[in-house]
Amino acid sequence: MTTVVERPEAPGAATGYPTIASLIRDRAGVKPDVVAMREKDFGIWQEITWGELWDTILNAAHGLLALGVEKGDRISIHSEDRPEWVILDVATVAVRGISVGLYPTNPAAEVEYLLSDSGSVVHLAEDQEQADKVMEVVDSLTALKKVIHVEPRGFRRWRDDERFLFWDEFIELGKEHRAANPGAVDKIMSEATEEDVMTLVYTSGTTGPPKGAMLTNSNVSFCLDILVNDPKRVGGDKPVSEDDIILTYLPLCHVAERIFSTWTLAAAGPTLNFAESIDTVQLNLREIQPTIFFAVPRIWERIHAGVLIRLSDATFFKKMLAKPSMAAAQFIGRERVKNGGNFTVASRLLYLIFNVLFFRSLKERIGLRRCRYAASGAAPIAPEVLEFFLGLGVSVYELYGMTENVAVATTNYPGRAKLGTVGEPYIEGSLRIDEDTGEIQTKHGGVFKGYWNKPERTAETFTDDGWLKTGDVGEWVDGTHVKIVDRMKDIIITSGGKNISPSEIENSLKTSPFIKEAMVIGDGRKFLSALIAIEFDTVGDWATRKGIPYTTYRDLSEKPQVIELVQKEVNKTNERFARVENVRKFAMIPKELDHEDGELTATQKLKRSAMSDLFGDLIEDMYRS
Amino acid sequence: MRGRPMLYTRYESDQALLNTGTKKVMMGLFIVLLVLIPFGVVPGLTFLSQPDWMRLLSTVCIFAVGALGLNILTGLAGQVSLGHAFFMGLGAYTAAWFGVEPGPLSGLGLPMWVWLPLAGLVPAIVGVLIGPVAVRVRGLYLAFVTLGLVFIGEYIFRNWVYATGGPDSGRTFPSLEWKIWKEETPLVDFQSDGVWFGVEIIEEAKTYFLMLLLLVIFVLLAKNIQRTRVGRAFQSIRDRDIAAEIMGVNEVQYKLVAFGLSSFYAGIAGALLATFIGRTIPERWNLFLSVQFIAIILIGGAGVVSGVILGSVFVTVLPRLVQDFSSWLADYVSEGEGAFVWLADLFISTGSGDFGLVNTLPGVGPGLSVFQFNQVLYGLLIILFLIFEPLGLYGIWLRIRNYWKGWPFTY
Repeated sequence: MTTVVERPEAPGAATGYPTIASLIRDRAGVKPDVVAMREKDFGIWQEITWGELWDTILNAAHGLLALGVEKGDRISIHSEDRPEWVILDVATVAVRGISVGLYPTNPAAEVEYLLSDSGSVVHLAEDQEQADKVMEVVDSLTALKKVIHVEPRGFRRWRDDERFLFWDEFIELGKEHRAANPGAVDKIMSEATEEDVMTLVYTSGTTGPPKGAMLTNSNVSFCLDILVNDPKRVGGDKPVSEDDIILTYLPLCHVAERIFSTWTLAAAGPTLNFAESIDTVQLNLREIQPTIFFAVPRIWERIHAGVLIRLSDATFFKKMLAKPSMAAAQFIGRERVKNGGNFTVASRLLYLIFNVLFFRSLKERIGLRRCRYAASGAAPIAPEVLEFFLGLGVSVYELYGMTENVAVATTNYPGRAKLGTVGEPYIEGSLRIDEDTGEIQTKHGGVFKGYWNKPERTAETFTDDGWLKTGDVGEWVDGTHVKIVDRMKDIIITSGGKNISPSEIENSLKTSPFIKEAMVIGDGRKFLSALIAIEFDTVGDWATRKGIPYTTYRDLSEKPQVIELVQKEVNKTNERFARVENVRKFAMIPKELDHEDGELTATQKLKRSAMSDLFGDLIEDMYRS
Repeated sequence: MRGRPMLYTRYESDQALLNTGTKKVMMGLFIVLLVLIPFGVVPGLTFLSQPDWMRLLSTVCIFAVGALGLNILTGLAGQVSLGHAFFMGLGAYTAAWFGVEPGPLSGLGLPMWVWLPLAGLVPAIVGVLIGPVAVRVRGLYLAFVTLGLVFIGEYIFRNWVYATGGPDSGRTFPSLEWKIWKEETPLVDFQSDGVWFGVEIIEEAKTYFLMLLLLVIFVLLAKNIQRTRVGRAFQSIRDRDIAAEIMGVNEVQYKLVAFGLSSFYAGIAGALLATFIGRTIPERWNLFLSVQFIAIILIGGAGVVSGVILGSVFVTVLPRLVQDFSSWLADYVSEGEGAFVWLADLFISTGSGDFGLVNTLPGVGPGLSVFQFNQVLYGLLIILFLIFEPLGLYGIWLRIRNYWKGWPFTY
């Protein structure tokens, strides 16, 4: 395998396979005073320079050695995004350990599963909330030696518990070890090989228990060459660089955010900015105005809905201007879609006018004014939403990949994007679509080593000739672009024998600002139906304005006026689809869906089987009469 | 970070008075404008360099200093005070006591750098001494207590002839000049024409520069009080005194501090006003002066320094505008031509037989004098602002600014 990773020369750089740890070390050696990270704390963005970052990583790595961590040991991290996440992750790679990320929303039962499945020896529990979860199940975790906590609050009752170690003490421990064994970490780093597993990324598990995908150093190098250092991929012929600013807000245990944040940081040296929480993303976006922005469809939909709602709430004159502006955005969006993402003369002219009047300040408000490259991935997105952002001048490119191939499969390139597709394969011949099943399969240097301790599941994932089965059904568009039809197992075959992809219909429903989740049902049934969950905030807002009193989520969902409102949205979607694909009936989901209740995965994807079980009576009701 | 005005990496930049580049540039240009005004080189504003307008601008500065003091007490700490005039008087007579050459009345003949700070300190001390009475009551009751202060003060001023000169002749005040000690020729004389840095400058302009400089100093002081611990404590007391105490704000202590600071400002303003005018009788420090300051902060915008300055400009310049407008109208009416003479005539009284709202010829015929009309106007404006725009002129500005700031949304 050839890997060309940019490596600034640094004095004393030891040889060894380039890992994210050695990349960060080398950059820190060259530019120790440049800001590498910012974290908002006590109201301001506290800065961490490259020098400080590497120093802390080195201390943490020594700390791990002091705790007896050896090559191949698993270190698990259960935390919101914060610098300590990245520091421990990189430190683990530095000592040739394997990092395992957990979603902050993982409940205790899943923590038990993930820690025992991975056999984690050191666990980082961010705060008391996460510590409670691990302590609930600690008796069954025989391999676990230490639990590190970052927040000191709420740990009084475990003050004398030997199993706990406060982050600052952990760093102190590392400092002592570093003084006693100088160069120990450097020596281990120099022994790194391309076959070292550097992390286990657990799949979210829409079916069955999560599986830990083993990613190696060479997988990372491959991914960085393709995704980060390719000048063609990001607009303006300039790859991601030190001038770029990134907002880190999606869970770092997900492969997409890990690539966009940690790995990109190591490979290209942009500044990472940690959002305070998922709830403050919109505000943090406005403050940071990132130049590179990756979001999942849910976030794009939320920004889109927020803009529409706030425009409809504007005062008279602003509304008067909003109307032609949004019409212009739609026109520009359509023109650009037709033109592979490029402007036409007419749309460019229109854009110049409305950019000054409207788009520029709108983009400033949603935090995307300085954004030179934006991407959507990890789930299918409705074309309307992409068109909207293209019209505003924020070029959002849909891309496609999965954990098992380090998110490298296809992408839309600036200038040759096709709406409704996930783009072109990065490398010629690295992707094929099975002729019989229509399944997308990939084969390249980024394909993972296998599932942790699950050889039979690994075998199932590969074809006989060694291609990775993605489980997604796709088709070629114009011979170059790939369109995803749906997850293989989600495809609905109605009793009439018609094959229908539910996600397209669901996404169309979800473009409505009033609908948060939708699940289309119809496998083996006469017609399609849907379970629909409303967006509590916007529908609540709507109801207040209409003078409809309500109390709880359930109460609001079941108001006849709200059902009428949703019916209108469903009708709009039905107009876009063929008759067999129309949603004839729908039922309102009476509760807000939640990860902890098992309806959603940690990445907020619907668990269809669980949903069918939980709301089986609602579904049967729709087909009864 | 360039182009990211909301990204603060240090508290210093978050709390900076001029936290954006635009604000820095605008403030710089504004100060240059203020400095250029007396030289009559600003297009459209050349009239401001006339002596009478220069005096008016100096008065604006003095009133602004006084209003900043009341703003600390009323705008920030929420304690309504009608006693501001008393502390101003106290400051004025302290200045006279220390600054005027010895003569039949009190006077020690000390230079400005002694009498000006003392003119602030003495009222501040008196304010803190009277404070314990005042902090026991709040709201309307406090207004009454401080109202009493004005009348007691006026009584003392009228009868302590040795200090104040009494109601008949009043007394003189120290002149505005900078001396090192008691030498004959002052280093800088602010009250005679002269040459500064090779430029001819009239005495009114010199006084204006002095007052402007003092205003800038006191504005910075007020701004810094407002955005530090003390200012936050004041504001918490204003918003809810019980909640403030629960949060650990010592209510009595901070109210006393507010009284002291407010009286300090009042004393300085009083001393400046008296020395600026020259000879003053004790009746000047009466209830009307207090009401004028209340008007300034309510019209300008209570609790906001820029609002207070706007209010000072408004309240000080308004009488002049009313005066000019009335005489213009009177001329217009007496010429007797034009379509709106009948309307103007309703407003203006031009003789003993003519009924009108305002009489430009004092003592002849019915109607209010311009001074009385101004008082009515202040009252009216206070009522209107309290009802329709409680944040004052600043609130109007805020509304306009937020309209554009929120663009293209409304919130």
